[in-house]
Amino acid sequence: MSALRCGCRAAGLRRALWPKGHPGLLVEEGALGGVWGRKRSLSANACEQDRRKDCGHAELLEVLEARVRQLQAEGTAEEVTVKRVAMAQAPETGGIWPPRQAPVGAEGAAPELSSHWVQKLDKDQQLIEKHWQQPEGKQPKTVEKPTWEKRLRMEPRLLSRKLAGQLQQWERKRPQSPWEEQLARLLQEAPKRLSREADEGSESRLEGQRQKFLAFLECCMLTGHLTLAHHVLVAQHSRAPQQQLLTLPMYNTVMLGWARQGSFKELMYVFFMLKDAGLAPDLLSYAAALQCMGRLDQDASTIQRCLKQMEQDGLSLQGLFSAVPLSTEERAELLRAVRKARPAFSPQPPPPPPPQVNTSPLLQEIYAKDPSVSYPRLHLSLKELQGLFRQQLGVEMATTVTVESVEKAPLLTKEVLQARKTLAALRAEWESVLSLELQKTKESEARAAAEGRLSLFPYLCLLSEKDLVGLLLQTLQALPPHGESLLFLAHELGLRVLKRKRLRNQVEELEQRYSEYLHLLASDTQVAEPCLPRQHWEALGMPEAPLEQPWPVSVLVQLGKQLAEVLVRAVQMPSSLTAPRGPSTLIPVLYHVYAFRSFRQIGILKPHPAFTQLQETAAERTLIFESTEVPMLCPPLPWTSPHSGAFLLSPTKMMRSLEGTQQHQLLLERCPPAELHGALDALTQLGNCAWRVNGRVLDLVLDLFRDKGCPRLGVPAPPTEAPRSPEGRQAPKGRLLPEASPADKAEMRRELARRLKVAREMQSLRADALYRLSLAQHLRNHIFWLPHNMDFRGRTYPCSPHFNHLGSDLARALLEFAQGRPLGPNGLDWLKIHLVNLTGFKKRESLQARRDYADAVMEDILDSAERPMTGRKWWMEADEPWQALACCMEIAQVVHSPDPTTYISHFPVHQDGSCNGLQHYAALGRDSTGAASVNLSPSDLPQDVYSEVAAQVEVFRRQDAKQGVRVAQVLEGFISRKVVKQTVMTVVYGVTRYGGRLQIEKRLRELEDFPQEFVWEASHYLVRQVFNSLQEMFSGTRSIQRWLTESARLISLTGSAVEWITPLGVPVIQPYHRDSKVMIKGGLQSLTLSSSVDTNQKPNTLKQKNGFPPNFIHSLDSTHMMLTALHCYRKGLTFVSVHDCFWTHAADVEVMNQVCREQFVRLHSQPILQDLSRFLIKRFCSSSRTSKSLWVSRLKDTLLSVPPTGTFDLEQVKRSTFFFS
Amino acid sequence: MWVPGARIPSRLTVSAFTRAGRFCVLNSVAARWKDVPAENCRGLYDFHPLLESDVGFVKSSSRLYKSRSETKRYVTSPRLAETMVRMLRGKRKAGQLILECNPGPGVLTRALLESGARVVALESDKTFIPELKSLGDSVNGRLEVIYCDFFKLDPRSHGTVTPPVMTSDMLFQYLGMKAHPWKKGFPLKVVGILPVKTERNTLWKILHDLYSCSSVYKYGRAELNLFISEKECRKLTANPQTPGLYQSLSVLGQIACGIKVLCTEPSSSFDMYTIKGQLERQRHRYTKTGRSCLLILYFFKPNKNYKESLEHNLCFIQLTPHRNLFSGTLTPFNYDVFFHMLRQCFMKRNAKLIDHLPSLSPIDAVHILKQIKKHKDVRVIDMYPEDFQRLFETIECSKDDSCKWLYDEFMEDTLS
Repeated sequence: MSALRCGCRAAGLRRALWPKGHPGLLVEEGALGGVWGRKRSLSANACEQDRRKDCGHAELLEVLEARVRQLQAEGTAEEVTVKRVAMAQAPETGGIWPPRQAPVGAEGAAPELSSHWVQKLDKDQQLIEKHWQQPEGKQPKTVEKPTWEKRLRMEPRLLSRKLAGQLQQWERKRPQSPWEEQLARLLQEAPKRLSREADEGSESRLEGQRQKFLAFLECCMLTGHLTLAHHVLVAQHSRAPQQQLLTLPMYNTVMLGWARQGSFKELMYVFFMLKDAGLAPDLLSYAAALQCMGRLDQDASTIQRCLKQMEQDGLSLQGLFSAVPLSTEERAELLRAVRKARPAFSPQPPPPPPPQVNTSPLLQEIYAKDPSVSYPRLHLSLKELQGLFRQQLGVEMATTVTVESVEKAPLLTKEVLQARKTLAALRAEWESVLSLELQKTKESEARAAAEGRLSLFPYLCLLSEKDLVGLLLQTLQALPPHGESLLFLAHELGLRVLKRKRLRNQVEELEQRYSEYLHLLASDTQVAEPCLPRQHWEALGMPEAPLEQPWPVSVLVQLGKQLAEVLVRAVQMPSSLTAPRGPSTLIPVLYHVYAFRSFRQIGILKPHPAFTQLQETAAERTLIFESTEVPMLCPPLPWTSPHSGAFLLSPTKMMRSLEGTQQHQLLLERCPPAELHGALDALTQLGNCAWRVNGRVLDLVLDLFRDKGCPRLGVPAPPTEAPRSPEGRQAPKGRLLPEASPADKAEMRRELARRLKVAREMQSLRADALYRLSLAQHLRNHIFWLPHNMDFRGRTYPCSPHFNHLGSDLARALLEFAQGRPLGPNGLDWLKIHLVNLTGFKKRESLQARRDYADAVMEDILDSAERPMTGRKWWMEADEPWQALACCMEIAQVVHSPDPTTYISHFPVHQDGSCNGLQHYAALGRDSTGAASVNLSPSDLPQDVYSEVAAQVEVFRRQDAKQGVRVAQVLEGFISRKVVKQTVMTVVYGVTRYGGRLQIEKRLRELEDFPQEFVWEASHYLVRQVFNSLQEMFSGTRSIQRWLTESARLISLTGSAVEWITPLGVPVIQPYHRDSKVMIKGGLQSLTLSSSVDTNQKPNTLKQKNGFPPNFIHSLDSTHMMLTALHCYRKGLTFVSVHDCFWTHAADVEVMNQVCREQFVRLHSQPILQDLSRFLIKRFCSSSRTSKSLWVSRLKDTLLSVPPTGTFDLEQVKRSTFFFS
Repeated sequence: MWVPGARIPSRLTVSAFTRAGRFCVLNSVAARWKDVPAENCRGLYDFHPLLESDVGFVKSSSRLYKSRSETKRYVTSPRLAETMVRMLRGKRKAGQLILECNPGPGVLTRALLESGARVVALESDKTFIPELKSLGDSVNGRLEVIYCDFFKLDPRSHGTVTPPVMTSDMLFQYLGMKAHPWKKGFPLKVVGILPVKTERNTLWKILHDLYSCSSVYKYGRAELNLFISEKECRKLTANPQTPGLYQSLSVLGQIACGIKVLCTEPSSSFDMYTIKGQLERQRHRYTKTGRSCLLILYFFKPNKNYKESLEHNLCFIQLTPHRNLFSGTLTPFNYDVFFHMLRQCFMKRNAKLIDHLPSLSPIDAVHILKQIKKHKDVRVIDMYPEDFQRLFETIECSKDDSCKWLYDEFMEDTLS
């Protein structure tokens, strides 16, 4: 034994200086520890006086440490040297060897005494421990674990000497004083922040890294790599400069992991580190510790002390149960621990949702209890809906949906079959090589993690290898022939991995609850009292999906890049594919090439042309979509919080934003839940509308699509119709002969480039249509739902991107309501009016005139419906031909039915706001003239703001012409509605004079007889006059715009992004910041990400300022839409919207129109601008930092002077026929 | 499914660079192409998330506007003007046509006229024009003054072209000149000083025009006599023996034309101007008093760069396009591939050529090297310009019909 001790003393010294522990110390060591521990206390007095000298020796110790570390690095061969050094130094320094504990600040803790004797003994003891543990403890592990896992480190390296000593000491005397003892003591330590320089620049840089680290740890938890997470935390913790990086949530995350496993010792390690970092434990930390004690069934006294300390820290016991998100099982363990100490304790049920009533006066009616309200129900029975739910569940479990392409099936010739066979064989081959390559990558990433770096390892473990390989092969299949930028691909791949990892897995619970929920919607069930879907869902129980931490974009891209590299490295094909005669060697399928764009060099992944060729020949007919890209097959989950709703399993955000942006999410989370009810319910309601495909229109479109397309009707042509097929850059034979002049050749190159461009554009349009039509075909005999979410201003969008009602004319014509309604007395009239609206033929006529026109052309309508492609083709002349055709068909059916009033119609009828943005502005500013021109006041014929602006411009022009202004004279007879339309329309969205001039210049160039040499001057003149005319007509509007712009500018100058709250209570923040750049190095190429949504960056004043007026108006129009949606729902209507275009059944148009007008008046009766001003003052003018106080005071002045309004009487809107028409 | 049209949201503008280090070179090389015309970019959107709204009409125009405050150099020493006239005249008789770019105060113009040459003065600064016109009074029509900026001929944005920006078609129509076949000579010599700040970009523009037979070169093999900074001149004439200076511009320049350095002058023999603020007022006074020859150096805002450039010399070089430039495989039809190849290679100049080849062509790299008779370890900077030409021809003429290059038109923003 002693020999052993001598020989290895050096190693022992090393350990003492630089503790390097071993995972899982065994129980037997405890006995030894006890012996030494007692001796230690005997020698306690001897060393008291040494403490004074400590400081002086700290330096020496450091030098020694450094030396030992250095030697350590040189490996075992140097062991002897180490020993000599140690032996030589020990006697010299023996008497004054400093104890491990720093005495400074030790007052709170029990005096920790030590001496060099003890030190020495400790060292030896540890040595013995080491030898004890090696045979028993370590070897079994090595058998199963890969090499990197053996190196994972559990014991923390603490920076505070005091704590380190405490830990060490405590480890030794474990049996006598149990670990828990230590916890209590540790808890008492006053948190002592290490010197943390809070300098602002580095802080913002750190924030990104912190996000990254937290994402890493959480991902480790998710994939069950707790030990790895702990190890990396230890590694990062031990580097003093890195400590700034570490925050409480990180320690908590790891701690919670240990708590779940019931590993108290490791939990304590983390606790030590937490204290070492100078952080104060919060509720979550306590919850973890208590939970762990609960699992280990520990005795009451420790728990008691723990709880006491918690109280001293000002944390409430109830808070553990209400404020910490825990699973049921965790909650039970926690309760068990707490009950030990306080047997009487029972967690109050989470405070009964305090009168969860939205305070907005606009929503009072919506949330008024009224048993007589009849909310709409679906036409499906409970059983059918349950079946649909199971289908959707199946789809989401499978994560992808395979859809058959609607492209014309190729003739199955020999070549095609051969190509398909080759492709299949190649894929089979690639699957195995890819999974090998993935394993290799994982291994190397794991090794990187074992060295304490944040590697991609846990992310790579999120999906099974098979899934990843599948993902990569899909990527390869979908790669366009001209390649895709590496950055884009990486981002896309990363996003896909993120989307596919599922967080919700309580399927059974979900199924049961959903089934209950369906009682509200199904046609054959009853609920106690009428309520909104969200209210019903909430009444069914509390468990919610936990908030998902977004991954920073850099992680996303890094992961994607790693995967893309795997693909590039692994996928190869025989060269014989290209040159059948040559010897068959393997060549890569993907090439990494560069393109040069302005000063940037862009990496592109490009498939080998032979591979593209092969794919084309094989003409495979399957498309693969993510499950979230396809409409749902059952009613979406109601939105109950900003992060739960819509898809069954895939988490969806209520407010869409760029991945990695947290500002919107944070704002929403901070918002009292009741304030969001309006938006949540509106989104739920929009998503609850059931849809079906209009089969007849789809058939017609498909015929065209498979034939030659028809760009005029919005059906893109196949690539064969392109001026030149896009592959290769061969010139026509014979035209590149040497005798052709260089200039000719140059011209030919340009010509080819032009054609290529056209072909590419066609190809992308074609692909877009292909996806839409394939999905439509796929869903042809289904009922489906389009879950909705919103953008940061509250404008709503369907979640599924390819097939929805938001697209072009064609896209809209493919959809109709799955639920029918009898037309009723006026339904047919509305269908006719809608048809005429779609044609755009009678824009300036009254409703009666439109109806009469429809009657007059009834022949044509019926002809269009019966022989759309062979008849007179009246419908093709319409502004929106496909929707017009669908409407013709509907009318034809109604006309042919025995009783039009009872005809069940599925057709959506639209009502459009006329220049909706200006309508809101005019109402805000109460501009009488303006209001009349955008149809806010009743009139017999629809007013047209563009014509009126044109007329006003003409007035100005005439004045100027009289005074001899040359341009004004030249412009005589050229000022039309068309010239000014675009500029007027975009003024609402903040177009500047500069942009306006360009728009007008374009229009003037289109005028053939306009003298072109005056274009520049004339456009200048006109844009000025348009702005003047708007000023004249919408004086209130213009001053509001200016006020908003100026406020935003000043807010931005005070260093904040502009925030406001919509009248419906949705918090909005403008995500415009200065660019921040992140570089991802290494591998194939370095990628630079620049993002302007980084909240740590200062706001981009220009964008904040220019964006505020339009964004504010958008937040108002979305509020109006949501209010209309909610009220329509209460009246039992089906309602959906495309921003300012509202859809409902023909029978309900009148009700919807009434609601729409009432809500507009209600909305603008609120003191919107005053509320905004008040909010902004409160938000931005309360804190005054000295450096910005100048701006703050100016801001306050500006905000206080809310622009005055005109005299327009809002009530008139209720009687205006053409407000929405 | 992946839709080609679906893009990274516009707020995330993303760009990609190669490994750090080479970036700075690239930066200056291609800055000119920043103002790609709006039309082109829109076409590219379909394939790329990278050119979002920041490359648009707005920028290009504002750049044009800004360019007015550029600094220009002018020949103001009569001695230097004499030398230049002697060099330009060469062996030829008097009476030849000379296109003088930005004559400014007109010192060289006067000398040229005195030597009997016919001069077309393209002046981009309005302030000099009256004075220049007055020079022509006594030479019975041998001087023509046009408000035009030679170095900004044929802008890439297809918007309105307003003087001094012109198209070459406008200019040559005005001069009444027809296009000359490439093999024939060209009756016109161009003389000028490259703009100080945009020297490299202008060089790139000239080379693009030359290789694509567009702009001035559409009208024939125009000979350019230019003053450029000594640094650029040395780069332009560099080869593997001066590896520090060797770059893609050197290769392109040497392949395209004969480069002759006629003389070297210290930059102090030139005067520099900006058109801003105080200076403008000053100039007015000078022009009024008619002492245009006695111009003094002005710096609106003297900074380090200017001072540095002052210490350097300017070289007078002659760029004569090779007569047989397009008689081989390289033509205006495929020159862009050649450009791309060089830019790619010189991104990492010290790397082995064999490492670059897989990013350029799917053809077996070893095979290619064997054909051009190069060792497999040959580095980019070891290749002479002719070697690059041979490399290009080898690949372009390879038997493999299906795919010779991985290059694709859309990868370059030179679409026009």
